[in-house]
This record gives sequence, structure tokens and C-alpha cells, in this order.
Amino acid sequence: METQDLSKYIEPALYDVAYAWHTADIPFWVTRAQQAAGPVLEAGCGTGRVLIPTLQAGVDAEGLDLHPGMLDVLKKKATAVGLSARVHLADMRDFTMARRYALITIPFRGFMHLLTTEDQLRALRCMREHLEPGGSLVLNLFYPTLERMVEPGDVERIEREFDHPETGLPVALVSVRRESDRVRQVLHAEMELRESDARGYAGAVHRHRFSLRWTYRFEMELLLRAAGFPRFEVRGGFDGRPLERDTDEMVWTAWKD
Amino acid sequence: MRPEAATSVAPSPYEAPELYDQLFESLDFDRPFWLRVGRGCQGPVLDLGCGTGRVLIPLLEAGVDADGVDLFPAMLDRLGAKAAKQGFHPRLLAADMCDFTLPRLYARVICAFNAFAHCETIEDQLATLRCCREHLAPGGALVLHISYPGAALWLGADGTPVLEHETTSVATGHRLQLYDRRFMDTVNQRQRSEIEVRELDLGGGIVASHRFEARQRWIYRYELELLLRLAGFPRWEIQGDFEGGPLERDDQQMIAWAWREPA
Repeated sequence: METQDLSKYIEPALYDVAYAWHTADIPFWVTRAQQAAGPVLEAGCGTGRVLIPTLQAGVDAEGLDLHPGMLDVLKKKATAVGLSARVHLADMRDFTMARRYALITIPFRGFMHLLTTEDQLRALRCMREHLEPGGSLVLNLFYPTLERMVEPGDVERIEREFDHPETGLPVALVSVRRESDRVRQVLHAEMELRESDARGYAGAVHRHRFSLRWTYRFEMELLLRAAGFPRFEVRGGFDGRPLERDTDEMVWTAWKD
Repeated sequence: MRPEAATSVAPSPYEAPELYDQLFESLDFDRPFWLRVGRGCQGPVLDLGCGTGRVLIPLLEAGVDADGVDLFPAMLDRLGAKAAKQGFHPRLLAADMCDFTLPRLYARVICAFNAFAHCETIEDQLATLRCCREHLAPGGALVLHISYPGAALWLGADGTPVLEHETTSVATGHRLQLYDRRFMDTVNQRQRSEIEVRELDLGGGIVASHRFEARQRWIYRYELELLLRLAGFPRWEIQGDFEGGPLERDDQQMIAWAWREPA
């Protein structure tokens, strides 16, 4: 298995600062979890951006993540709102749980951290084994956008500007470097979280890196088939529209017989 | 005044074998590779999507025991006639590449020049690869060439006709120009081409115009590897050019070697 270098990844304490603005997908995941006819497992639950609202909705949900620091943040946040979150320090490619689940989710492109076909298949097979008969796996991935893929890699791009969730001061999430390896289907990205003070002067800069492996539509179908899923479907967004453009988000559901 | 240009309409370029030959018989960028593949194995070779024999006839000339499969009987008729003139009588089967049966096993099944892009669904792709595997002798290999569908392919098409190929017909001395209007469906990995072949006389006047339509379904590298795996090949390798170099850029070719398990 490819090892993940967590030291280059965004610091857990900053994760929620960087992604607190991203709430658009939460209703989708919470609704799916509420509709599940049994327990729910979220793989790559991180700091609980999705898991905590899911628990607050009364769902019997657990989480797993291979990043201990992220899980620490999650647990603190859960305690603060009076919840006890059942989370497991585990790798989505190779984990063993006592229970079987009606729904396993991998929100926010977590599957894209798996960089090789072998790792992708290991994870999919492991999840299938942990599903109840008739249970489903739901995950989202970006479709690789061609226009973006051919851009020069060293052009800075402000991805998002928002207010710091605690201090209210302006923060920018900036893409500093992007390199798309088009035949290996891996995006290597370097990002900066740039804080400002009350007068707008530049403050702390937090640099982090990650690599994401993209997967094409039919390739994903073949992965699901090879992992033993007999039935699956893809949508072009959380609103359920068909997948038509390379700027769409692929939302996959795969069912276990 | 020039006489009015004759216009013929055909749905697939493979239904006009004579014109196809005039256009493509001089195309030899991949011929040395396929000759190496054919000469380098111990046993017969099957050319899948052999067309009018652009690769198959040179293999026969090189002393390789080669058979061919193609969907279009007219292409095979022309291949058979050309081969017979040279005293060759290969076994030629008009059949779909996803469902064919031949009485012997091959050391190599070859699929040249994007023929595999004519499989438009996963089911067809898998059926074709399984059929190839079943026709391989133990230890034999499928060798498949398909262009990598790079960013330039998807972004370059804007629906205007592009002069894709130009040659002079040996038979008529006419200049032949192949214009391609491409319509790309990125997420479905499909290309539809409206093709016009113009025949020009020595003065540059259009003598004839032939219109065709073609469809292709492109595949990516890991996708191809998953297809080979699901079709039951135990071992494969993807190269990026005809010299065996690695696949590193998206303007390269994919040459897949997939072996059947040894006896």
C-alpha cells in the first residue's frame, strides 16, 4: 500500500478554518444517512464536518480516519456539543469493524487520497465486506476538468475568501502550485491558508500539500465491478442531475446484493 | 465550367474499401512494429480489425502465418483479392470483434491503429478482450495499440472541419484530402466524426466528395488495465510508444501487451 505522508497535510487545528465554508454537501450526506435502514459508517471522517451534523440528526453513525490529529479535533468538537462520537483510527483500505452497515459514505473526495488502482480496489472490497446485504456505498469525486488540467501549474489562484470562523478576520485559501500528471491521473497541489489582521495586513501563512488521484467515469465503473459490486449509478452532482460535463461532481452509489 | 462534383454517401468509411486503401495504404508508421511482433513469436498471428490488410499483408510477406477478422466483408474481399495476387490465402473471417470463433489458437492476437476504439461499451470491450484471450495459445499475448486520449484531443475539437490526412492516390493520381469534423463527449469518452474525403484533380478542382461518419470510444490507461484484469488476463504491460518506452505524456500512444497464462 502507498503510505500517506500526513506531515505535509493540513494541520488538524486549521482544517476547520480552511473548510468551514464548505457546507453545501452536508444536507445530502445527512439525508442519505437518515434514510439508511441501519447503521452508517463514514470513511475519512476527518474533523467531523459531516459526521457531527449526522450524529446531531440522530443517526447511528460511526467514523473512521487514518489521521489521529483529525480524530482528536472531532472528539473535542463532539464533546463540546454533548455528543460522544464513535470513531476509529483506521485505514479505509484495510479495516475490520464488528458491525455491518446499511450505508458507508466517503464524503468530500476522500476516495481520491487513494493513489493507485490496487489501493482503490482494496478500499472498495473492504467497504463491500462491511456492508449489510442490500447496503450501499456512496462517495463523491471531482470529474477531471480539462481546462484546469492544462493550466500552467505555478499560477496562484485564490480558491476561496472567507471570514475566520472564530475571529471573523479575513482568510484566503490559495492554490499556490498545481501539477496534473495526466497519464498517472494524479493532481499534486500545494495550498496556502493566508490569514489577515483586522487592518487587512497579511498575517500567518499556513502551507500544506496533498495529492489526489482522479478517476474517469468508466474507470470507476470497472473498479466497482472488479470489487464485486453488482449494481451502481453515477450522478453529476448532489442535486442528482445526470453526469454530462467535465466540471460536474461525480456522486456514485454502489449497492451490495 | 467544371462538371458538377459527384457526391457519394456512405455511413462508414469501411464500406468504401477501395477509397480506404487509396487513403491509407501509404500509412506505415506502425508497420515495423507489427512486423517485429509477428516475426518475434513462435506461432500464428491473428489480426483483429484487419481491414484491407495494411498490416496483415506485410506480415504475410514477411513469412508470418497470419489470419484476419474484420466486421466489414467488403474490406475482407479487397484484402483477399490483394493477398491472392501475391499467392497468399489467409483465413479471413467477417465477424464482430466481440464475438468471433476461429478453429485455432494464436501466439499473438494483434489489434492495430485504434481498432479497439470501435468497442463502444464496457460490455463490448470486455467481450472483445475475453474473445482475444480465448484465442491465445498458452503463454501467447494480445498486443493492442490505441492512442492515449490526451487533453489536445478533447480540447482541440470545435466542430470545424480539420484537414487530417492528405495523400495522392497511386491508382488515379488524384489528390485525396480527408477532412474531419469532430464532436467530442468528454465524460462519455466518445468521439463522433463527420468525414469528408475530397478527390482533387491536377488543377485542384473537386472531382468527387465522399462523406462518412465514424464513432470512437476512447479509453484511459488505468481503465485499459482494469479491462484487461476483468477479462481474465493475469499479466499485462502498457507501453507509451512503438519502441517499448514508458507512457509518460498524454500525447503518446498506448501499446498494451497482455499475456495468457503459460501452460
